[in-house]
Amino acid sequence: MKDVESLWDLFQKRNVSRRNFLKTCVTITGILGLSPSLISDVVSAAEKQPLVPVIWLHGHECTGCDEAFIRSQSPFASDVLLNMISMEYMDVLAAAAGEPLEHHLQEVMKKYNGKYLLAVEGAVPLNDDGIHCMVGGKTFVHNLKEVAKGAAAIIEVGSCAAWGGIQAAKPNPTKSVSVSDVVSGKTIIKVPGCPPIPEVITGVIMHYTLYGQIPPLDSKGRPKQFFGNRIHDTCYRRPFFDSGMFVEKFDDAASKAGWCLYKVGCRGPETYNSCGNLRWWNGLSYPIQSGAPCIGCSANNFWDNDPFYNRMPNIPVPNAIVNADQVGIVAAGALTAGVVIHGALSTIQHKRHHKETHETENDNE
Amino acid sequence: MKRVVVDPVNRIEGHLRLEVVVDEATGKVQEALSSGTAWRGIELILKDRDPRDAWAFAQRICGVCTTIHSLSCLRAVEDALGIEIPKNANYIRNIIEATQMVHDHIVHFYHLHALDWVSPVAALKADPAATAALQNTVLEKYNLNVKGPIEFDTEAYPKEFPKATTVYFRSIQDKIKKIVDSGQLGIFSAQWWDHPDYDVLPPEVHLMAVSHYLNMLDRQRDIVTSHVVFGGKNPHPHYVVGGMPCSISMNDMNAPINTERLAVVDASINMTIALNNYFYIPDVLAIGEIYVKQGYIDGGGLAKERVIGFGDYPDEKYSGTSNGDFHNNLLLRSDGVVENFVQGVDKAIFYPFEAKDLSDPDVLTEGVEHSWYDYPEKDKDLHPWNGVTNPKFTGPKEGSKTDWKYLDENGKYSWIKTPKWRGKMAEVGPLSRYIIVYTKVKQGIITEPTWVEKMMVDQVDAVSNMLNLPPEKWLLSTVGRTAARGLESQVMGYISKYYLDKLINNIKAGDTSVANTDKWEPSTWPKEARGVGLVEAPRGALSHWVIIKDGKIDNYQAVVPSTWNACPRDSKSGYGAYETSMMDTKVKIADKPLEILKVIHSFDPCLACATHLYDASGRELTVVHSDPYLRL
Amino acid sequence: MKVRTVAVYYVFTIWTRIFHWLMVGAIAVLFCTGLYIGNPFYIGSQGVEPTFAVSNWASMSTIRFIHFAAAYILMASFIFRVYGFILHRGDRMLPKPWTKLFWTGMVDMGLHYSFLRSEHRPYLRNSMARAGYGGVYGMIFLEAFTGFAMYGQINPNSWLSKLFGPLNHLLVDEYIVHIIHHYVAWMIILFVIIHVYMATRADMSEKYGEISAMFSGVKFYDKEPDDVGDLKE
Repeated sequence: MKDVESLWDLFQKRNVSRRNFLKTCVTITGILGLSPSLISDVVSAAEKQPLVPVIWLHGHECTGCDEAFIRSQSPFASDVLLNMISMEYMDVLAAAAGEPLEHHLQEVMKKYNGKYLLAVEGAVPLNDDGIHCMVGGKTFVHNLKEVAKGAAAIIEVGSCAAWGGIQAAKPNPTKSVSVSDVVSGKTIIKVPGCPPIPEVITGVIMHYTLYGQIPPLDSKGRPKQFFGNRIHDTCYRRPFFDSGMFVEKFDDAASKAGWCLYKVGCRGPETYNSCGNLRWWNGLSYPIQSGAPCIGCSANNFWDNDPFYNRMPNIPVPNAIVNADQVGIVAAGALTAGVVIHGALSTIQHKRHHKETHETENDNE
Repeated sequence: MKRVVVDPVNRIEGHLRLEVVVDEATGKVQEALSSGTAWRGIELILKDRDPRDAWAFAQRICGVCTTIHSLSCLRAVEDALGIEIPKNANYIRNIIEATQMVHDHIVHFYHLHALDWVSPVAALKADPAATAALQNTVLEKYNLNVKGPIEFDTEAYPKEFPKATTVYFRSIQDKIKKIVDSGQLGIFSAQWWDHPDYDVLPPEVHLMAVSHYLNMLDRQRDIVTSHVVFGGKNPHPHYVVGGMPCSISMNDMNAPINTERLAVVDASINMTIALNNYFYIPDVLAIGEIYVKQGYIDGGGLAKERVIGFGDYPDEKYSGTSNGDFHNNLLLRSDGVVENFVQGVDKAIFYPFEAKDLSDPDVLTEGVEHSWYDYPEKDKDLHPWNGVTNPKFTGPKEGSKTDWKYLDENGKYSWIKTPKWRGKMAEVGPLSRYIIVYTKVKQGIITEPTWVEKMMVDQVDAVSNMLNLPPEKWLLSTVGRTAARGLESQVMGYISKYYLDKLINNIKAGDTSVANTDKWEPSTWPKEARGVGLVEAPRGALSHWVIIKDGKIDNYQAVVPSTWNACPRDSKSGYGAYETSMMDTKVKIADKPLEILKVIHSFDPCLACATHLYDASGRELTVVHSDPYLRL
Repeated sequence: MKVRTVAVYYVFTIWTRIFHWLMVGAIAVLFCTGLYIGNPFYIGSQGVEPTFAVSNWASMSTIRFIHFAAAYILMASFIFRVYGFILHRGDRMLPKPWTKLFWTGMVDMGLHYSFLRSEHRPYLRNSMARAGYGGVYGMIFLEAFTGFAMYGQINPNSWLSKLFGPLNHLLVDEYIVHIIHHYVAWMIILFVIIHVYMATRADMSEKYGEISAMFSGVKFYDKEPDDVGDLKE
């Protein structure tokens, strides 16, 4: 890794003073949500840590996560791309195409074997040997397994890579699965979201480049600093929930007043993401703030938790659109009627039997 | 003769493979094949879902033209259910759409297309001082002098200008030098930087353009700030069937939209207009002029023959699309088909595209002759409402199923269907929109042009004057396609301002309604309904088709711009736009087909959108060139 | 007057009886508050006025507090249940599918309930009831696990979250956990309807003191119950 520079080297080359360098490290510490006591760690990490080669693969995706990546403002995507990592393969931004690009990929894999970071965007279709997604004339699942072998760690960027995403929704025509379903034995960081918040994607990359280690993860592999809490528990509209003040339908008076969207199906109570604290565009807004209920886009299987405007899924009953409460009330009613009838029949039977036994007893006397 | 494969095609959305057969002696492309190599089956996933959720699913067709598919879906569902959205919702959706167009075009030009024209390596040879001087000249010279209507002129002076200083260009050059010296070129790796076409532009233009590449990479996010305000996020902002979820109130502190929020949108739109006027337009015209003057006017392809558009930007409320009301008050009336523009605007032939054509099973159809899908009746194309998405993969011509060498141009070779207008191929996109509007206005079909149409005609005339060439000579080319996108971006900046003005005026008049929820409950819906939603998306004419039965989606089909352009050939209708344009392009070095990348990138391919769904018989199919200018 | 000669069987300890009635109360409260939490309905105003649950004091946070408090009471009541279980054989009448008696009893009761057999054998607790109670314990545990899985996530670094949090991933996602919690609540209510009916029916037709046993702890039999072995050696 002789050619690889650390952040401090870059600052020296750019004639930036150590004072400014330290200031930048303080800012970075703040962005990553780390405690100020870690500043010295950031400083030493930024000084020593070499630039990390990154390979970014695309499977079954919509490129929304690349778009989200370039929307990042702190750090800017340009700063990430040119100064923090070396983006060796990413067909969306790469200058080269086709054979030269694929050749370059092979070289990078050899040169940085075991040292590069692999970012994967998109799900892995397995149906029919994986032919529903072909890249460079080979199946994506084949390419992914090849590149994953030499990766230091893998980042699943977006809900498709992390969970399977929209193509894995029922009936999953292409049998799409997440990256972790086909790759094993590697450290995998899940960065779900459809797409993830821009600063969350760059934040994870930056954490890795600064510390040379992956951020602390939860039991499912998501960075705790970005996916630790439910949106509901960090939502600025939470007080309205606690007070029982709800939007009943779109654009009603409560909607204008900015009350809680729980009753119009908000998935905030089940969804782990940074929408409530980081928000989008560095704090500008997030769906709930814009009056739209969360659809839970960073949650596993969220596409099949529809319809999105109800709290509960519909129960398949022919010719009716009903949920569990409606079915429950009808079932409880029917059951009550059933036991009343059963009770009546039991009484009749009991009386008749009692009479019979009584008669038998009398006969015996 | 050499068969060259480009796979993956870079700097696009999704997975595209190109195969071209180049005559090395003449540089002529004898055969060209474009294949969408991924299929996700979103239409199948949409079946049986709640129509009120469909926008979110459809939105994920594409994250680059994010929002466009949801808009088209919403229009289709609202058309089916007979929902008329409030004025404010129409304005807000138009602001979101127009800013999306600018964003998509700017990111396309600077980040997905520029590196076909511009080389960071060539920029090293530039003199920073001369580059600063060049920047000044470019800003002075390439100014189209067009302006849209601005009622609330909130900006004291434009805030975004290119930096035309020596220090700036030197610092960028130093950075490029460091990257090149380090040997770690990152995203700039492995390109054919030694290709002779990178010598067309002087080094100073390269340095200026690379600087703008970086500058725009940092700025582009601010173009779509309106999506975050109105829809909560970007990519993939939120909507609601019947309007928008972002309620407006000046009486509540916690309202999604109030004066401050509109100010955020306003600042973003002002910036967007400046980015178009001081970066995009001067850059695209400066580079374009040099190329045109050096005779690079190939790559026109299907646009010479036939283009199609649907029209967009409803000025006021409309009651539906199928009933024709959508087309009654459009700001951009690019609806219709224009043939033969190559012989000049006077000889071009215009065919209207009317509401009744939408439901006519003979007007818009999709075929699967060369697509990896199966139709119930062979050779019978289907109207989107009756569309079937039934995958059937057949494998390549050479190589194995999972390791392709060459695809089979005579059999099935793409996951993209072949859409047709009256059985014929047509190109869509900004270029098509410009050709249609220009033809309609110049031929007097549009008697009273809207300000948008007038501005579009003025732009084309201004550029034609500058180049001293009639539009058919420069527009119908790779450069023309790229330039039309830039021109359109400028118009779209003003469109977003126009609708923000309208929104403010309407709020002023006391109307704050953003959603019509009268038909929110499924009990208010008809037992069966069908609808269509039309949008002029960044890449061209987009249509979504939905059938709703018993409160659920019964059939869903999307005929998207890149389907029109990237589609495989058809024995009766000829070649699609990508294939025609490649065959209309000269390739200097067969092993380094930069020109092919350039012409395909000029369409701004969006493959995840395009790929729906093949025929194992492997029968020989003769493709007829319907384009007289391409006949071999 | 006919004199009925019965033997008295001490079945339930006081601990189990306390548990039972605590559980009844807790489940009633949990179900009602749970319904509100799942779908905050209102009695009274709507729209611009706050849509409080029932009246001003019963906000969502109060109702949630009551829900969580009742859940803790239910959990705590299991201390009594376990104590009784350890203390007394009568409190250990679990379903024993490995015994022949369990299955003959099941058939016996099945025939009786479908009116094909007018009288069933005497049991301290019949096989169907045993299976039913086993089932309801299972459902309560499922409710407790899913409940704590959601509740613990308020503080993702807490031991509660570490203990139950992984359930959210095991069951696909927290949304599914919500749904399971909600569906099982309904199943418990359906159980309650059947249970109350069966107990009342047995009490009225069989005179073993089915209902009073949950107050007094004793049942009365004129013939020795088939499963008396569960009570005495």
